[in-house]
Amino acid sequence: MAIVRESSAIIRDVMPAFELFQPTSIEEALSVLAQYGTDAWVLAGGIDSFDWLKDRIKRPKAVVDLGRIRELRGVRELAGGGVEIRAMTTLTDVVLHPAIRKSFKLLADAAESAASPQIRNQGTIGGNVSQDTRCWYYRSGFPCYRAGGNICYADTPYGMNREHAILGAARCVAVSPSDSAPAMVALEAKMLVRNSNGERAVNAEDYFIGPGFDITRMTVLKQGDILTAIRIPSAWANASFYFEKISDRPVWDFPIVNIAAAKVISGGKIRRIRLVVNGVAAHPWRLRQVEEAVTGQPADEQTGARAGELAIADAVPLQHNGFKLPLMRNLVKRAICATPA
Amino acid sequence: MHIIQWAANPWGQMVPIHIAWALIWVFAIAGLTFLIVHAIWVRYFARRQEFAGPALSPGAAAALPAKIERHSLAARLFHWVMAAAMLVLLFTAFLPKVGVRFSWVTYHWVAGLILLASIVFHIVHASFFQNFGSIWPDKSDLADARNRTLRALGRSAPPPRRFGKYPFENKLYHLIIVIAGLAVAVTGAFMLFRVETPFLARNPYILSDMTWGFVYVLHGLAGVGLIALVTVHIYFALRPEKLPITKSMIFGSISRDHFLEQHDPQRWVVSSGNAGAGPSRAD
Amino acid sequence: MPDSKQEGTAAQVPLVTADTPADKSKLVGQNYVTPDLFAKVTGQAKYAEDFRAEGMLFAKLLLSPYPHARILEIDASQALAMPGVRAVLTMKDLPPPADYMTDLGVLIKANPLGERGLAMEPLYQGEPIAAVAAVDELTAADAVEKIRVTYEPLPFVIDPLASLRPGGPNARVEGNVWGVLGPEAPVGAKRTTPVPEVREIKWTEEDFRGYDEGKMPTGTPTGEWSYGDVEGGFKNAALVLDESFQTPNTSHECLETRTSMAYWQGGKLHLFGSTQSTSQTVPAIARWMNMKPEDVVLVSEYTGGGYGSKVTSSVHLIIPAMLSKKCHAPVMMRITREDENYIGRARPSLTGRMKAGFGPDGRLLALDMFVVADNGPYDEVHDTYISGQIVSLLYQPVAMRWRGISVLTNTPPRSPQSSPGGLQGITLMEPVLAKAARRLKIDLLAIHRINAPEGKAPLGPAVDGKRAHATGCFMKEALDQGARRFQWEERRKANSGKRNGSKIRGVGVSSSSFKSGSKGFDGLFVIQPDGKMYVQSGIGNLGTEDFSDVHRVAAEMVGMPWEKVVVTWGDTSKHLPWTCISGGSQTAHAMTRAAYAAAMDAIGKLQQIAAKDHGGRPENYEVRNERVYRQGGGPVMTLAHAAQRAIALGGVYDGHELPKDINPMTVRSAKALAGRGLMGVARDNYRQDGTVFSFVASFAEVEIDVETGTYKIVDFLAVADAGRVIHPAAIGGQILGRSMLGIGHAIGQKWVFDQHLGLPVARRFYQTKPPTILDAPARMDWAALNIPDPEGPVGAKGIGEPPVPGGCCAILNAISDALGDDIFRRAPVTLDMILTSLENGHPVISGLAADI
Repeated sequence: MAIVRESSAIIRDVMPAFELFQPTSIEEALSVLAQYGTDAWVLAGGIDSFDWLKDRIKRPKAVVDLGRIRELRGVRELAGGGVEIRAMTTLTDVVLHPAIRKSFKLLADAAESAASPQIRNQGTIGGNVSQDTRCWYYRSGFPCYRAGGNICYADTPYGMNREHAILGAARCVAVSPSDSAPAMVALEAKMLVRNSNGERAVNAEDYFIGPGFDITRMTVLKQGDILTAIRIPSAWANASFYFEKISDRPVWDFPIVNIAAAKVISGGKIRRIRLVVNGVAAHPWRLRQVEEAVTGQPADEQTGARAGELAIADAVPLQHNGFKLPLMRNLVKRAICATPA
Repeated sequence: MHIIQWAANPWGQMVPIHIAWALIWVFAIAGLTFLIVHAIWVRYFARRQEFAGPALSPGAAAALPAKIERHSLAARLFHWVMAAAMLVLLFTAFLPKVGVRFSWVTYHWVAGLILLASIVFHIVHASFFQNFGSIWPDKSDLADARNRTLRALGRSAPPPRRFGKYPFENKLYHLIIVIAGLAVAVTGAFMLFRVETPFLARNPYILSDMTWGFVYVLHGLAGVGLIALVTVHIYFALRPEKLPITKSMIFGSISRDHFLEQHDPQRWVVSSGNAGAGPSRAD
Repeated sequence: MPDSKQEGTAAQVPLVTADTPADKSKLVGQNYVTPDLFAKVTGQAKYAEDFRAEGMLFAKLLLSPYPHARILEIDASQALAMPGVRAVLTMKDLPPPADYMTDLGVLIKANPLGERGLAMEPLYQGEPIAAVAAVDELTAADAVEKIRVTYEPLPFVIDPLASLRPGGPNARVEGNVWGVLGPEAPVGAKRTTPVPEVREIKWTEEDFRGYDEGKMPTGTPTGEWSYGDVEGGFKNAALVLDESFQTPNTSHECLETRTSMAYWQGGKLHLFGSTQSTSQTVPAIARWMNMKPEDVVLVSEYTGGGYGSKVTSSVHLIIPAMLSKKCHAPVMMRITREDENYIGRARPSLTGRMKAGFGPDGRLLALDMFVVADNGPYDEVHDTYISGQIVSLLYQPVAMRWRGISVLTNTPPRSPQSSPGGLQGITLMEPVLAKAARRLKIDLLAIHRINAPEGKAPLGPAVDGKRAHATGCFMKEALDQGARRFQWEERRKANSGKRNGSKIRGVGVSSSSFKSGSKGFDGLFVIQPDGKMYVQSGIGNLGTEDFSDVHRVAAEMVGMPWEKVVVTWGDTSKHLPWTCISGGSQTAHAMTRAAYAAAMDAIGKLQQIAAKDHGGRPENYEVRNERVYRQGGGPVMTLAHAAQRAIALGGVYDGHELPKDINPMTVRSAKALAGRGLMGVARDNYRQDGTVFSFVASFAEVEIDVETGTYKIVDFLAVADAGRVIHPAAIGGQILGRSMLGIGHAIGQKWVFDQHLGLPVARRFYQTKPPTILDAPARMDWAALNIPDPEGPVGAKGIGEPPVPGGCCAILNAISDALGDDIFRRAPVTLDMILTSLENGHPVISGLAADI
């Protein structure tokens, strides 16, 4: 190998300079975003952003810190039993909010399972649902599909893909690392997205997108968009909920697989259910087929076992993540037959 | 404007990863510009086509069948399969790049495989079951082309001969499409190793990053080239004076009159006496 | 303490635990407020990064993107042209490698292929190539990006077994193994070590037969020893097991990265670094800098973790020193987590093949052990050799053969890590022992007991016809005390394999040991006329509290209340004595001996002064309670007064005349302190025939969810035989803290590499997954036997290393107790392994590929 290569030096873990904007209103933030276009970066709690910035992989000219916009914080109870969570509300505040704890415990449990107490104090609900994938190749700054390149380093004969996708992979096999996202889909949340053209509401299920649709984004958010709030309708208020997160460590870890279920059970039978698994695909994976199959069935072991098998029928493991199949199967089973707490 | 998008690979080496996507617009506009210029030229400036020498004697002409087969069924099937695959490939490749989002990869590689298969079929078919030479430009094509150009510019030159089976422009187009098509197909075949297919294990390491870079750039260049080529091709297919040729790609044959007007029976020998629509096995 | 030590057994001496009541009349064995505590908890403690100097520049490193390459050109012109950039340093600017003399008089020849701090042939991704000094960090980082480096990529290898395959790649151009045995191998009478060289060893295809079934291949080793009739042992065995197992590569993950700052003043280098050792780091720096030790001043008052990775810190310390020389300004080099991940050292993975023959009673009759170490690219690690030694001691195989090879790989450099080789050896052996117990239907504790070392147990091979021995082993006592406290039998009966829904409980125990002391260092203190005792401590303050604890021995001996003891540490300009390295669990033993020696020296001098002033023979006087008393009553001399008298008398009394056998560093320090009072200064010359080892019995109960593969540790206990307990809180902290370090190896900490790219993909804490506080067992307890070591005057033994393997293996054995054999064949045992094995009925992740 006598090929001689000049390499560009790579230095990580030193945040480069950028212009910091700290607007106090959404309009102000949108105008900065419009002004800088693709050179702008929206900063919420910073838990995801700072990694990118410190590693000098994403190099925006302008960082727009949403932290001083008061209208982006807080939880409001909606008439009719729903809640609206402003996007910059910290995970801790979501976990502790009485209305959420009372009616939407699923979300409180999901948010509480994220990261560590310190991170939950800093991280926001908007950031948690909109965060980028943690595929370690992508996060290394390699020019993979998701980074605009033409290769997936994780799915090669040598790829280390224990944490990667078993469903919905399309060239990119990264997964969504969010703990709160599956709960949002299960609760039929609406994501309010604002840009210079106004505000639109996007169903949580449509908010998260897969690599087949757009390989460089995890959500519908585009340049110039800000997620302003998440509205949880009353549809599943006080339903029977099940959330479980499986990770290597009990704290400060992303999910290997997590599951969020909302069920309405009466007479021992499942009347309505929404079942969402994350950590298995690039977006929270709603199990529609399973939902249909178990509706009207008794919420017992047998239904759970069949549901588990059905859930993984289409799963395709990579070299190192075959264990996610039994794991997902077992979690689906548990979610179906768990007795309400 | 840069043509190639570069990126640092995990070892910090700068490698090409694909063409600059702005080239999509460059080639799309180039194709459109060509057809606009051509249309204007034909409408306002072009002279009537003139050919040298007498056409076939009326007797000999009468001996020709009323319909002269131009494309066998197999050839036509190939053309349309290829055309469909090509259109799917172009749309699935470039629509997402210009903002029309959909899950395109599977359609793209399936169409690519169909294209690949049809190309292989065509090569075999054209090499062994057709007159292989009829599509390649020859010396007289070049001489005639020179004369036609001079005459078009108002200079004096002897009138060109009538065409063989394929007009010179047709041959040229074929030549370019062969180059672009083979480039895109061969590179595309390698790229099957990089996507999920049921029959190949994904392995991006069968080539070096630098080689892959060239594969992607070549695929991209050929691809955007095909945008222009296909645009031009469709344009010609729809032009009134070319409609007989277009129809022949559907129905298989051209009329005797069109044949006599455009083609030189010595260069495209059509066996006479076999009147009717039967296959003439002349090519 | 002057009552010297008492011989004892577990039954006679009560355990020391977290709840043992304090005896306020004593210092040794009591808890107290250490002199660094206030600064640490208030944030006033200054770590290397907290120092500032006038005009200080900042340095940043350019790291290799390649796992192996040759550098043809470094073009820094664009970087140097940037405003604020002062200098760029490359390997050419560094001093050449130098020979050095150990304090035992052995000449260590420089390794021309050793690590230099900056490389022109980087051997792992992340190896520093150049350093930039600039007015601030951001400028330095931006400048690094402007440096153009031309590389010639070279072949690389991440997996040691891949390098041993026929035709496999070599990590270095010269080959894949070091050509000389480690220094622990018999050196004989040689006073000069040979110049190390690299050579190539490849195994045959035949050797690799069985690899695909998970059998570790065995071929030509680089080291081998044996004792007893191994083949005969296997013949007589009731059960022969042949197991392959792999331990993980684990970074040290110190919370404080190895940041350093340097400036030059009056021809002396002042270096502020993060190092485990204080005194011993000085000659190390001097060697790397190719300068005299007396021209080096090291300041390292607080160290945020070392675990063996900062024994004398690392060679990268010299980068700010050389940049400072070049720029004529102080230079601070803050090491980021990213940098630390590459240069911060790691424990080598060992892949082992253990063929073990057991008698029907579980006695280990024969052991054939073959280990392959993932050495990294630089100096040979000795984990292979030590793993054999520790296993031979801890399980006392009747006959044993050990073979080993350390294979070079293009991965970050290794260094010792808490229980180097011990963790790996014990982790290779314990699952075999647990499996044997199940096969032979013997209790897990019983099989540990029957194989436990006792008394002056032998270890390792015979050298010159004689096997080395331990000074004393109380492994059985630790197991017994632990079994009692853990309620082993009751718990096994009630919980072992008990299923509740999807959860199964398992109960495990592990033996553990490591070398725990050295000898021959110096103690130094001065009792001044103000009545205070000024102790000079050359021990690093790396969190163990030894820097202060060991001096409690001397203070108690001279009857000094702790309030009147002033400990000086962490700054070699403040006259510190020659001290053992603060690593390898040596300090508690070695430096209590040195403190004892210095105290005996001072007591002798006090007795002489009293005799001079008040008549009688020196031995008629005794020292206690801040005074010198005449036995049977009579005149009393305060220590303050004695200090005045020592100054007046001069000579040996106040340090103007010094013992001949103390180290030159101690001589320099003592000379500087001479005349200030009564000096206690001496070398530890106490006899010791055996090697000091500490032992730990570790117990764990786990609860495994078989539907998710996750498990939690519900209870954990470690009982240590660590000699006389000097400072209960410190020993308890070490036992539990180091158990956690071991538990990390069992439950999740590891490296992950992409073998094709040759790069680590797990680079941050959330990816390498060291244990967090919530990984700690729900209940966690410790106890210490408090049996003084039978050899030496004090009987204290180190405790840093020994709990580590026990922490790991108690968990592993508890898991296999719950789930049975063959669920895992490598550590850490993660949920994917458990799920996959249970799903398939056999271990699927059984391959021996490294770093997956």
